[in-house]
Amino acid sequence: MSELQQIPWALVAPILVVQFILMIVALIDLKRIYATNGPKWIWLILILISGILGSIAYFIVGRRQA
Amino acid sequence: MTQFSVLLKKEFLESWRSFKFLWIPLVFIFLGVTEPLTNYYIEDILAAVGNMPEGFEMLFPELTAADILLSTTGQYQLIGLLVLISAFIGSVSRERHNGTATLLYVRPISAAVIFMSKWMMASIVSIVSAVLGYLASMYYTVILFGSVAVDDFVKMLLTYCVWLVLVMAITIAMSAAFQTGVAAAIAIILIPVGLFVDSAIGGFWTWTPWKLVNHGLSFVTDTIIMADFQMALLFTVIAIISFSGLGILATKRNWRLTKV
Repeated sequence: MSELQQIPWALVAPILVVQFILMIVALIDLKRIYATNGPKWIWLILILISGILGSIAYFIVGRRQA
Repeated sequence: MTQFSVLLKKEFLESWRSFKFLWIPLVFIFLGVTEPLTNYYIEDILAAVGNMPEGFEMLFPELTAADILLSTTGQYQLIGLLVLISAFIGSVSRERHNGTATLLYVRPISAAVIFMSKWMMASIVSIVSAVLGYLASMYYTVILFGSVAVDDFVKMLLTYCVWLVLVMAITIAMSAAFQTGVAAAIAIILIPVGLFVDSAIGGFWTWTPWKLVNHGLSFVTDTIIMADFQMALLFTVIAIISFSGLGILATKRNWRLTKV
């Protein structure tokens, strides 16, 4: 537990917040979008587990805009 | 002018609804925040996860605020530009592909207005992203490393914005001229790869548009050679004008080729 307390949370928290917002936005978009490139459930898993990279990848290649 | 504002509004709605206005600034802020943090805690990070042998010691250079700005810019020039290019490379070609463009081309709208509205919106999104990202980065840098002069920082930021306008001019022009895949390849070769090539072999000339950002950075890092900066700025503006001309011509050609 002492190691957890040593982490400078005040400095690290904004990174986590940004990551979290990106994930939420990606999930909202995934819910609303008609169809994605590739199965939706793969994108769901990618966004949920791969942190910021999954969300960015979803926005760049996942959205099918037709 | 009304045509332009209507089309600009359409572009704004598009980037708003596709969340571009949200996620691209967030990516830039993320990159900008992680850079000073990882540089500051690199020793702790290595100690915790680096599997360093017992008694291993490493000397780290004393980093200044300017060094952090330099490495943040490095991130933006690689990851940031790739994100921006891939977000906007489809803006004309996709509309042509799915038929939205036809709806525009049957109306008496000039090609210049179509191109300009897209280019301007893309530039606004990238500039907002870069400014927010740099501000976030600077905030952390001031806390962890110390400060730089505000006016130098603003000058550097303005230079970066000019560069982003060029990047977006190339991106939208390529999008108008080619299909999405080809356009992306050309834009990536011209911009991020061009940066590599220029830094590898470009020691002999100082005025290419690719060097503009480096000249801008020397506002904060060390003394700037004003003549070089102005030449690079001049050539960047020339490049912006020629690429937007190219983009307008390509949009005109699309218009002619469209069958209704």
